[in-house]
Amino acid sequence: MVNQTLNRAAPLPRRKRSHSFTTESRPGFLVYGILLAFFLGSTYPLWYSMVIGSSDSGVFASARPPLLPGGHFWSNVAEVFNTVDFWAALGNSLVVSSVITLSVVSFSTLAGYAFAKLRFRGREGLLVFVIATLAVPTQLGIIPLFMMMKEFGWTGSLGAIMIPTLVTAFGVFFMRQYLVDNIPDELIEAARVDGASMIGTFWHVGVPAARPAMAILSLFTFMTAWTDYLWPMLVAPQTPTLQVALSQLQSARYVDYTIVMAGALMATIPLLVLFVVAGKQLVSGIMTGAVKG
Amino acid sequence: MTNKPPGASTGPAGRKARPSAPTPEKLREDQLTGKQRHRHFFSRLDYKYSPYLYVAPFFILFALVGLFPLVYTFVVSINDWDLLGGAGEWVGLENYTAELSSPLFWNSLFNTFSIFLLSAIPQLAIATFIAAMLDQNLRAKTFWRMSVLVPYVVTPVAVTLIFSNAFDEKYGLINNLLQVFNVDPVAWKTSVFPSHLAIATMVNWRWTGYNALILLAAMQAVPRELHESAALDGAGKLRRFFSITLPSIRPTMIFVIITATIGGMQIFTEPKLFNASSSVPGGPDRQYQTTVLYLWDLAFNRGDFGRASAVAWMLFLIIILIGVINFLLSRKIASSGEKRAGRRPARRGRRAGKTAIPASGQDMAEARRRNHG
Amino acid sequence: MDITRTSRIAKAAAVAGSLALLATGCGGNNNATSEQPASPDNPITLTVTTFGTMGLDDLYTKYESENPGVKIQATNIDTGGNALTDWKTKQAAGAGLPDVQAVEEGWLGQVMTVSDSFTDLRDYGAGDIAGQWVDWKVQQATDDEGRIIGYGTDIGPMGLCYNADLFKEAGLPSERDAVAELFGGDNATWEQFVDVGKDYVKASDKAFYDQSGFVWNSMVNQLDEGYYKADGTLNIEGNTQLRERWDLLADAASNGLSSGQTQWDWGKGQAFVDGSFATMPCPGWMLGVVKGQIEGAGGDSTGGWDFADVFPGGPANWGGTFLTVPATSQHPAEAAKLAQWLTSADSQAAAFEVAGTFPSSLDAQQSEAVTGANDLTKFFNDAPIGKILANRAEGVKAQFKGPNDSVIQEQVFGPATIALDSGTDGQKAWNDALATLKDLDIK
Repeated sequence: MVNQTLNRAAPLPRRKRSHSFTTESRPGFLVYGILLAFFLGSTYPLWYSMVIGSSDSGVFASARPPLLPGGHFWSNVAEVFNTVDFWAALGNSLVVSSVITLSVVSFSTLAGYAFAKLRFRGREGLLVFVIATLAVPTQLGIIPLFMMMKEFGWTGSLGAIMIPTLVTAFGVFFMRQYLVDNIPDELIEAARVDGASMIGTFWHVGVPAARPAMAILSLFTFMTAWTDYLWPMLVAPQTPTLQVALSQLQSARYVDYTIVMAGALMATIPLLVLFVVAGKQLVSGIMTGAVKG
Repeated sequence: MTNKPPGASTGPAGRKARPSAPTPEKLREDQLTGKQRHRHFFSRLDYKYSPYLYVAPFFILFALVGLFPLVYTFVVSINDWDLLGGAGEWVGLENYTAELSSPLFWNSLFNTFSIFLLSAIPQLAIATFIAAMLDQNLRAKTFWRMSVLVPYVVTPVAVTLIFSNAFDEKYGLINNLLQVFNVDPVAWKTSVFPSHLAIATMVNWRWTGYNALILLAAMQAVPRELHESAALDGAGKLRRFFSITLPSIRPTMIFVIITATIGGMQIFTEPKLFNASSSVPGGPDRQYQTTVLYLWDLAFNRGDFGRASAVAWMLFLIIILIGVINFLLSRKIASSGEKRAGRRPARRGRRAGKTAIPASGQDMAEARRRNHG
Repeated sequence: MDITRTSRIAKAAAVAGSLALLATGCGGNNNATSEQPASPDNPITLTVTTFGTMGLDDLYTKYESENPGVKIQATNIDTGGNALTDWKTKQAAGAGLPDVQAVEEGWLGQVMTVSDSFTDLRDYGAGDIAGQWVDWKVQQATDDEGRIIGYGTDIGPMGLCYNADLFKEAGLPSERDAVAELFGGDNATWEQFVDVGKDYVKASDKAFYDQSGFVWNSMVNQLDEGYYKADGTLNIEGNTQLRERWDLLADAASNGLSSGQTQWDWGKGQAFVDGSFATMPCPGWMLGVVKGQIEGAGGDSTGGWDFADVFPGGPANWGGTFLTVPATSQHPAEAAKLAQWLTSADSQAAAFEVAGTFPSSLDAQQSEAVTGANDLTKFFNDAPIGKILANRAEGVKAQFKGPNDSVIQEQVFGPATIALDSGTDGQKAWNDALATLKDLDIK
């Protein structure tokens, strides 16, 4: 029964609808107006942080906050750099998020491929286990994890930040769902008849087919690792990731909102760059992962 | 166009009902030479055991860093355990009874659920509305879709710092605006309901566009023929939205709600950083101290690992309970969807009915992915 | 301390997981048994964590130039409360503590429960120089076994910050000595303080002090025994001394004396500039904070703030800090040397000039730098801050700090004083505080 439902949940080919658009009229200005308003609401807080982050601290003395950026952005940024080691934090975040992403995507692809395309005793049971653990909020295990890291003497290292999220049940499930429909069994059979080893088949047939899903999983894993705060703050405040450094900036300088805002903006820039580069993929990733209508 | 999901690249081969895995046994043994038999032996080993090697890294690592800590949380929770002093005596369920009779614990649950409700309901309503706006024959479709996703790339820490400034009671943007309209300033950081509203606003700001895209995907899966035939019958746009679109995306809406719940139950960053000047985490009177924040305060400020672990376990059970409700709910919806699907063109049937277990599985995964903490 | 179930199970997990986890590559602690002195050939970095406004920044630079090969990496945390959480988390993690950790007086109850995780500074000569501090400061840093775990930096004798301009506007005396007399001079009481406050409120229609929390801290800190009795038992419920003071504070708040400011925030310092309140209880180190707040809000020394040689209820000490060397330090000798230098008479005097942190070193208290004029005295209308604080320090005694002293201050009476400021009556706020005490399960 499980198997049946699982197969039904496999990503489905989406029907192209472009033909129906031709018969559908363009929406009026009202729709664009609403979307524009939503867009402004979505971006205004960033603009606001720019305005405050580029003012001097006297900005709060005036009756009303200004609407346009002031001329102190760079001096505020300099103050941010004085207070926290921004570049080291950026580096830490990049390392942590990249290693986690690499690990999650590799292990998920490997396991997802096995669950989707290989037969082995206990497969169904193990897959049910994976699905069941999707629900497990591992974040709640922080106390023992904290004690473990202490016992190993790893507290404060980047490794300690990464360890709890090196694998995710979501990743395995996601890859399995994708691969079950996207690798023709004939291809695997052909490779085997040609005498390819199992790992060779995985490498030459599985991985190329999995690439689009791997890209999406990478994006989301990277985002999740990048935004994580609770665990890095607990286990390695002395080697802060960008999020932890940002909160330390707040705790060191919360009196100076202008500097905290400049820092918040600086910390957002890397992801904004990612958004410009991979925004389309993010959009399609969200829309794909979600369709189960 | 990249908004075509990877799933759409599926060729006809992908639609095969069951994988018929290649089997070396098919090769006839008696035709093999000695050398081939030798190779065949390793090939059999490879075939038989490789899959276990592929899934092993996941299971081993997950057991060590995911499951073991959770189980061990229970061990800690039945002991008197101090942050600095380490393990003390075995106390049975005392930590649980102490927490269950602690008003602070209940306060944290109340705050968590209240913030959740304040974020989930408006978020869903606005996301549905925005999705309906996006689900039209727009010019620059990709631009608009990307535009709603901007807040998603601002991390919760940055979101909180920005909004914490805007909600400052004396010099914040919001109270300044209120004054312009002659409204009394609101105590955003020191009273219960306004602080919940402020934190919910942060969550909503970051997630509404994201959810709008999920709902948009569901809306696009609604067959156009339904709209077209309804339009021929004289149903207006609004009427079609309520009688066709909304019922069709109901399972996805449930999904969005569930993921928001599980994420919302673990909210930490926003209340932690909202008011840096409060000496008590979560507001001077714990006005917005959520359960995970309470857990952190209990463990790392008050140094009581035992009771903090008890809180972790109870929250764990609550989340599992929500997972079970999710499962039952989505099954029910799936079966009612099955009925509706009977009246639709045949090929829609498959889509309408597939929400049961995997949907709940994916919900959980999604919730983890959007972990607020 | 760790031969417990934790370690056994964690070790089992360690063995099981070592293969997989070693891949992530983390070194263990290799404690250097013998320590080479730092030199340009053997450069070391010493990490220092402080909080609040301690006035050490220039001293770091000076030390670095006098000690080639030593680089100081300093972290400052805004408030003592946040710094305590930071220390506790790292202490519990067994890693991440700096080479030199500033420890506030209020934490001593907790610090002393793990005093063996700090370096005994007697190994680096603390015993020989113990005479340089006021004796109670050294006693506070000495554990049950006689180990000295911290060098005193400042102490927190309290005087009264007041705004002369606002006093004048309200028709009160504004000159420093007259203000001291107004509150009762050497016999100043809290009753007198509240009475003057009521007059001020009547005359000016403005609040008298910034918020009730600091007043309360002062009231508690000057008692012989505070939240704990000297034997370590809790001393709140049924403590009439405490309760009388609470009722007085409630009376003050209900008469509009409190401006209800947010602690450590003061509306981004605005409240110091816009006349929201006219007095504040000030330990020496608070003067640096006040100056920073005023400057942050765009104000300067012309704002009327002054510092009077008087304190209600008798001599009081609030806060004061120690520099410790956590046992995890890789360079305990160098760290101890730095801590010793930073707390030397000269350094304490230099820090005082910047931040108003009143020296715990007897020599420094007498030094010209402390008794003379400096930027801070200029900021406070040329008040002889050093002399005033020396007067205020007379008769100060160290109060016993229990294991949860800081939790009680932050989480029990913090909210309770905020409640007073927002109109809750004294009886209810007190009962709520007792209930919170119970909820938090503080013993």
